[in-house]
Amino acid sequence: MKRDNPNQLNFATSSSSNKGKMWCEEQDAGGVDELFAVLGYKVKSSDMAEVAQKLEHLEEVMGSVQQDGLSQIASDTVHYNPSDLSSWLESMISELNPLPNFESFNSIVQDPFLETSCVTSIDSHSYNSLNSHARSHISVSTQQQMVVDSDFGSDLISIPGKAVYPPSQQHPPLQHQPQPKKLKPSSYSGMGSSNTASWGSPNESISAHPIESARPMLLVDSQENGIRLVHSLMACAEAVQQQNMNLAEALVKQIGFLAVSQAGAMRKVATYFAEALARRIYKLYPTNPHDTAFTDLLQMHFYETCPYLKFAHFTANQAILEAFAGKSRVHIIDFGMKQGMQWPALLQALALRPGGPPSFRLTGIGPPSHDNMDHLREVGCKLAQLAETIHVEFDYRGFVANSLADLNASMFDVREGETVAVNSIFELHQLLAQPGAIEKVLQVVSEVKPEILTVVELEANHNGPVFLDRFTESLHYYSTLFDSLESSGGGDIGGGAVSVQDKVMSEVYLGRQICNVVACEGPDRVERHETLVQWRTRFQSAGFGPVHLGSNAYRQASMLLALFAGGDGYRVEEKDGCLTLGWHTRPLIATSAWKLI
Amino acid sequence: MKRPLAAVGDINMNKKLKQQEEEMSREAEAVLLHDNLLFEVLKHVDDGRTLASAACVSRQWKRTAQDERLWELICTKHYNSTPLQLRVVVLALGGFRRLYSSHLWPLLRQSSSSSSSSSPSSVSAWPCLPPAPAERPRSKARWGRDEVNLSLSLLSIKYFEKMSFNRGK
Repeated sequence: MKRDNPNQLNFATSSSSNKGKMWCEEQDAGGVDELFAVLGYKVKSSDMAEVAQKLEHLEEVMGSVQQDGLSQIASDTVHYNPSDLSSWLESMISELNPLPNFESFNSIVQDPFLETSCVTSIDSHSYNSLNSHARSHISVSTQQQMVVDSDFGSDLISIPGKAVYPPSQQHPPLQHQPQPKKLKPSSYSGMGSSNTASWGSPNESISAHPIESARPMLLVDSQENGIRLVHSLMACAEAVQQQNMNLAEALVKQIGFLAVSQAGAMRKVATYFAEALARRIYKLYPTNPHDTAFTDLLQMHFYETCPYLKFAHFTANQAILEAFAGKSRVHIIDFGMKQGMQWPALLQALALRPGGPPSFRLTGIGPPSHDNMDHLREVGCKLAQLAETIHVEFDYRGFVANSLADLNASMFDVREGETVAVNSIFELHQLLAQPGAIEKVLQVVSEVKPEILTVVELEANHNGPVFLDRFTESLHYYSTLFDSLESSGGGDIGGGAVSVQDKVMSEVYLGRQICNVVACEGPDRVERHETLVQWRTRFQSAGFGPVHLGSNAYRQASMLLALFAGGDGYRVEEKDGCLTLGWHTRPLIATSAWKLI
Repeated sequence: MKRPLAAVGDINMNKKLKQQEEEMSREAEAVLLHDNLLFEVLKHVDDGRTLASAACVSRQWKRTAQDERLWELICTKHYNSTPLQLRVVVLALGGFRRLYSSHLWPLLRQSSSSSSSSSPSSVSAWPCLPPAPAERPRSKARWGRDEVNLSLSLLSIKYFEKMSFNRGK
């Protein structure tokens, strides 16, 4: 797919820029092109290039024929079924017996059809030009009218007439000199459509293009579509905010189409957001996943694919290690045990510390499991086995709790002489869904009197009171996150490359979060992310003061990033003693440490 | 080989030289084919690549070059004051050779290619291609405490992950 010299076109924009917006479609591998199908034309995606070429040729040909000749063509086309675009064009061309005539061609093909008042992209030019030709034919002959979907709100444009919009964009495939404008003969003037405005003022200048008419070109103006996509997403969110569900519904459909025209991260993000919006609109709220095993699995893949979780673990471990310096009995309370991936590294570091390892106690908290397996216990057993291998005295206890707020300090059985550390990775934000929960938990934590409280949270504000704000914030956040995922060809950790499956699972993992942020409300909306600044206020009001993460943590984190492909994009930053990991300029997660003051 | 006609003395000389050469090569063989002596020689190897290449020479060399003690020397080369339990722990978690090949080596390779690495030890160009005979910036990447510690963490994580695999979870 190539783009042909967009710079050479007129980039005039006008107030009617909304009109004449066309949807560009990307090819579907095999099968019928979906956008054409919507309009009633069956065009095989594989034929698109050919169809485009033929349309150009047709244009050429029609241009060269004298005016009266056209009506003859018009009457003849009744016999052909326009839904089979390819052969229809073929027949058209053969009838016309083309003899390219440069001069007359110029006068026709240029001006009104190349009117760029509508769009700044190449595609629209040929759209308009062919539109006029095609329309003349079809409306005269077959009288098929496209029904424009009137559900669309004012932002959307109606598809003018028989939308035979070839994706190819070449300008009249012949060399021509800029000519004084001449409006197309009046036989077309009768066509009322929203596109007539485009016929108004002719082009100022059309520079000559070198013709490469033989080259099939498919132009996908994905950049403009990308902008449109974002606008549609925002418009839809706004509609939802204003409870204008009809408009939102129409927009969501449009988003679906636009998303397909994109590639890579944008496409995925848009798809997830569109799905979440659709759920909100149709009130098909997702139930919170009870299958925690699956969620854990997804998180494992996320762990492998990109450095965020590893960063979280490593930095938190470093803080804990430093807090445990010189202590002989340590106890860690982990608010989200999951697969226990954080602890092997800490155990190893403790095993190798000067003075030997301390005696190590771990209390792991997890949600109730819905299959018959006791995940918490299993993880504990594995860790115990590891600890034994490296000669660290290890003791484990698992707690099942629906919510952290259900716990109280006495459960943890903190013993005399123990140094306690509390660790929470992406757990605290869920408490914000229940009023009073976070305060209770922080209260419990302070009762335990930890030496250090390590917290890792997503650095974003997805908990604002206004839906639209949350939507906008999360759109930016997850776009950045998906961008970084795209670049992660793989981490070289242990010599294993990231597989496609890992990546896909990570995307599903993030997609669930998106769904929760956008589609859920009330206690169901658990992904209530808040920024470091907001958390700081909460911790400070609960009696905690910041502990600065040292340069060791920073160094280790930076080194870790080097192992991930796309390592250049990741940035570790230090902010008031806390470390953040971000993608380019946007911090995405933040590690902080706190102690009782 | 033409024998000089009138040099019986020369013939004797040649014979002697040949004998000396044979002796030398026998001695060399003796060293290089003798496990312990080979071990002693390989102890002086500076970097992992050389040691790994040595392991490709022959089966006997492979046996010797894959000795954990040699790899321990390589890994801890720049790590001053290694912890006492290092050997025990690392051997339990998979060994020094694995530590180097799976974790330390990728780290060094990456950090040498990205010049903006913040590791405290200076890293110069690590030749990825067989070095050209002419000028060879013989890589002297240093892997200090931080790199080794990071690699140890990764080693332990990998061990842990594999554990679950074995348990058939």
